[in-house]
Amino acid sequence: VSQPCPGGQFSKGQFSQGQFSQGQRPSQDEAVARATLTYLAEPGDARLARLVADRGAIAAVEAIRAGWSPDHGEPGTLWDGGDDARRAAVRRAVERWRTRLADVPDPVDLAGLRERGIRIVCPADPEWPSGLASLGDERPYALWVRGSVRDLAAACQQSVAIVGSRAATAYGGYVAAELAASVAAAGWTVTSGGAYGIDGAAHRGALAGRGTSIAVMACGVDRSYPAGHEELLDDVAAAGAVISEWPPGRSPTRLRFLVRNRVIAAMTAGTVVIEAGQRSGALSTARHARDLGRILMAVPGPVTSDLSAGCHAIIRDWQAILVTSAPEVIEGLTGVRPGHAAVSPRRRPVPDDVPVARAPRDQVTIADRERAALDGDAAAVLDALPARGSLSTDEIAVRAGLHPRIVLGALAMLRVHGLAERVDGGWRLGPRR
Amino acid sequence: MGLARAYAVALVGVAGHLIEVEAHVSNGLPAVIMVGLPDAALREARDRIRAAILNSGLEWPGNKITIGLSPASLPKGGSGFDLSIAVAILAASADAVTPVEIPGRAVLVAELGLDGRLRPVPGVLPAVVAAAREGIDTVVVAGQNREEAALVPGVTVVAATWLLEVVMWLRGGPRPVAFAAALEDSGARGGPGAGAAAAPRDKRPVRDMSEVLGQYEARRAVEVCAAGGHNLSLLGPPGSGKTMLAERLPTILPRLTRQAALEVTSIHSVAGTLAAGSGLISQPPFCAPHHTATMPAIVGGGSSSLIRPGAASLAHRGVLFLDEAPEFHRNALDALRQPLESGEVVIARQGMITRFPARFTLILAANPCPCARADSGGAGCDCSPATRRRYLGRLSGPLLDRVDVKVRLDPVSRTAMLGGHQAAENSAVMADRVEEARDRAAFRLLGTPWQVNAEVPGAELRKSFPLPPGALDLLDRAMELGQVSARGADKIIRVAWSLADLAGMPQPTARECNEAIGLWLGVPR
Repeated sequence: VSQPCPGGQFSKGQFSQGQFSQGQRPSQDEAVARATLTYLAEPGDARLARLVADRGAIAAVEAIRAGWSPDHGEPGTLWDGGDDARRAAVRRAVERWRTRLADVPDPVDLAGLRERGIRIVCPADPEWPSGLASLGDERPYALWVRGSVRDLAAACQQSVAIVGSRAATAYGGYVAAELAASVAAAGWTVTSGGAYGIDGAAHRGALAGRGTSIAVMACGVDRSYPAGHEELLDDVAAAGAVISEWPPGRSPTRLRFLVRNRVIAAMTAGTVVIEAGQRSGALSTARHARDLGRILMAVPGPVTSDLSAGCHAIIRDWQAILVTSAPEVIEGLTGVRPGHAAVSPRRRPVPDDVPVARAPRDQVTIADRERAALDGDAAAVLDALPARGSLSTDEIAVRAGLHPRIVLGALAMLRVHGLAERVDGGWRLGPRR
Repeated sequence: MGLARAYAVALVGVAGHLIEVEAHVSNGLPAVIMVGLPDAALREARDRIRAAILNSGLEWPGNKITIGLSPASLPKGGSGFDLSIAVAILAASADAVTPVEIPGRAVLVAELGLDGRLRPVPGVLPAVVAAAREGIDTVVVAGQNREEAALVPGVTVVAATWLLEVVMWLRGGPRPVAFAAALEDSGARGGPGAGAAAAPRDKRPVRDMSEVLGQYEARRAVEVCAAGGHNLSLLGPPGSGKTMLAERLPTILPRLTRQAALEVTSIHSVAGTLAAGSGLISQPPFCAPHHTATMPAIVGGGSSSLIRPGAASLAHRGVLFLDEAPEFHRNALDALRQPLESGEVVIARQGMITRFPARFTLILAANPCPCARADSGGAGCDCSPATRRRYLGRLSGPLLDRVDVKVRLDPVSRTAMLGGHQAAENSAVMADRVEEARDRAAFRLLGTPWQVNAEVPGAELRKSFPLPPGALDLLDRAMELGQVSARGADKIIRVAWSLADLAGMPQPTARECNEAIGLWLGVPR
């Protein structure tokens, strides 16, 4: 049907957005219409978002199918084309959307997709992640979901994004996996982009921590990109969800990754950046997180590493919270240190027996009572140790009057506690004496 | 004109295979044709055999002679087939006045000299073992191989000096008596390569642990390694006693069981390092290849028909000592990973795979720096810290992963030198303790694939043999502080078990665990 429809057909009252209240399942038609929109337009198209907000998804699809033109709009409304320049822009947008009409399966077979384990979640669904509302006009039209998660909103309630470079170093991969495993084990959902490097390590870590993980893709949820992560993405789906704004079958493009990043930032409580270079895509996620008022955290690396330069930059310039461990991540997200009563962040309890001016607690000089806690043999060996130079085990045994076997065990205890150290030539008092 | 059959043995590694040697004498132009994958040395046999037969005063059939060695698919090499081929030719030749009758259940293994003398060959022991397994009851060998062949029970050994003796016997004459003693001229002794390599074994001075002064940690480490089968790394400046300790590890290892002794003697027999008349090797062997050794010298190699065992196999059931370990070729060291893992060396050549057993205790010794001046790090050494780190970094991680005990040796102090004698235990005392510890470990590990603590994987160790509460307190603390890695913790627990075995304890307590940590942390990394 290429004939233009009269503008009056879409009256404002008929399709106001108030017709669906949150918590009530949308109609089948609404779901089909939203699915159709994901086929027609690239996500983040503000013009389409406003059209949908104004008239509802069903009417918007009908209008696009009918080849609606702003020339027929009601004066004084969004449907009014306004001045010539805007009119032309709207016309071009409709043209753009219409070019993909042939791509839309007719009908959109939601039941068939559900049999393949793929469902669609619409903004009116109870399980629509509430964080996505902060995206405003750029919010997704709908989300395609593949995975075992029954309630996406609940999974995102306590979630953190862990993102970073694809070309990660062993250090980055290790930190990502460790952080993800620990926060996942603590009940946090780990969200990432499913890519090689940090993303993959984060997903793997979350799975290892027996937690929930969500991969936000820049292609259809039925596609495995990168191909080497097919198995990982299947595992993520089994223990969480693989989600996308793009309909099944779509392939990723460079731009789509950047568009996708706003969803990662919006649907999580905070974002941790690990190993991002100065031009890394992970910094776009970080920027969205900052702009959306999410908690932004970064793991530092060697200052000589180009791969961590982006992390250092956002710590310095955007006041990202420097984190080095899972408890610090959780502390950053909640303001509460795990295992402690709620204290204001970044204030450590000071032990009352240690003067504050001294070195950090781990390096204080050995207290007398700690020395007293050593068993008799260890104390005897400690007394036999020279402060300078060194003595062999045999010589210490003679000095302490103990069998060398006992001396070796005692030296181990002193060595672990920093009271003895091995140097060329033998043993002597350690740095903590 | 006729056909006759004799038996010999071909060796693939230390595994013998019975070979049927057939000779067919037929009309035709005089020629000798040999079929069945003989190698170059074996091809030369026809000239040796012809000379030996003629010089023995026997008749060489002037016809076409075909010699078949079957199974034909197995590569065969060496000179040990000479006697069987010669006898088969004589039996097939109908011209002889008295026929040569070859007993069906006899194997003939000897090289022939041009003068008709029987010469010894390497690998007689595994050959006789294989023959016995196949139900053969008589073996004919050169006199110098008699003792080696007689190590296998249930086989009658016929040792001869001359081909003529053997032929006379097969024609119904008296059984040959080898006058080995009469032949003790230098040329007739030992197999190829026997002389130089075997000599040090006989002349090896009696060594004893009591000669090591002081060095408690190192002595203890050697004892633990003997008890638990752990591999050992010794780090220390020249003169601190690394070689001395390594050489004395075999003196505290238990004597080889008969089965192990047969394995070890077989390998040395194949390698040609077995001295004539030395009998069964019952002491754990000690093998210390030089650091310029190539990969084939370490793990074995050679052409497809004659693959020789390397140092790793010569150290089977004993000690492989790599002095100046960082100076070894990287590929030679890395080739040790397979035997360390599986206890055998597998050498693949075209058409065949040869296996040599190689289950040994590895001792690595290294100077702390390449300049190796006394007391490195102090006066005299001008190596930078980076140089020192790089030097020790030449030992690859996977190799060091197989080393459970690392100790740092220091030059012996004057006090220890003067007063250490009374404290030093001798090897016999330590060997008793080690044997008891090994028995205890073997009993505990009954029903598992492992015999010594070093072989038990870390996961299994933690699962099947949990330690009493409190024993690991210090280890946990050290791990929290990052002083010990998870892998290091496994090694410490393994060593703690060996210490408990040595102490006669049912399981390690905090004392053994702490001592194991002391051994582990004694090396500055």
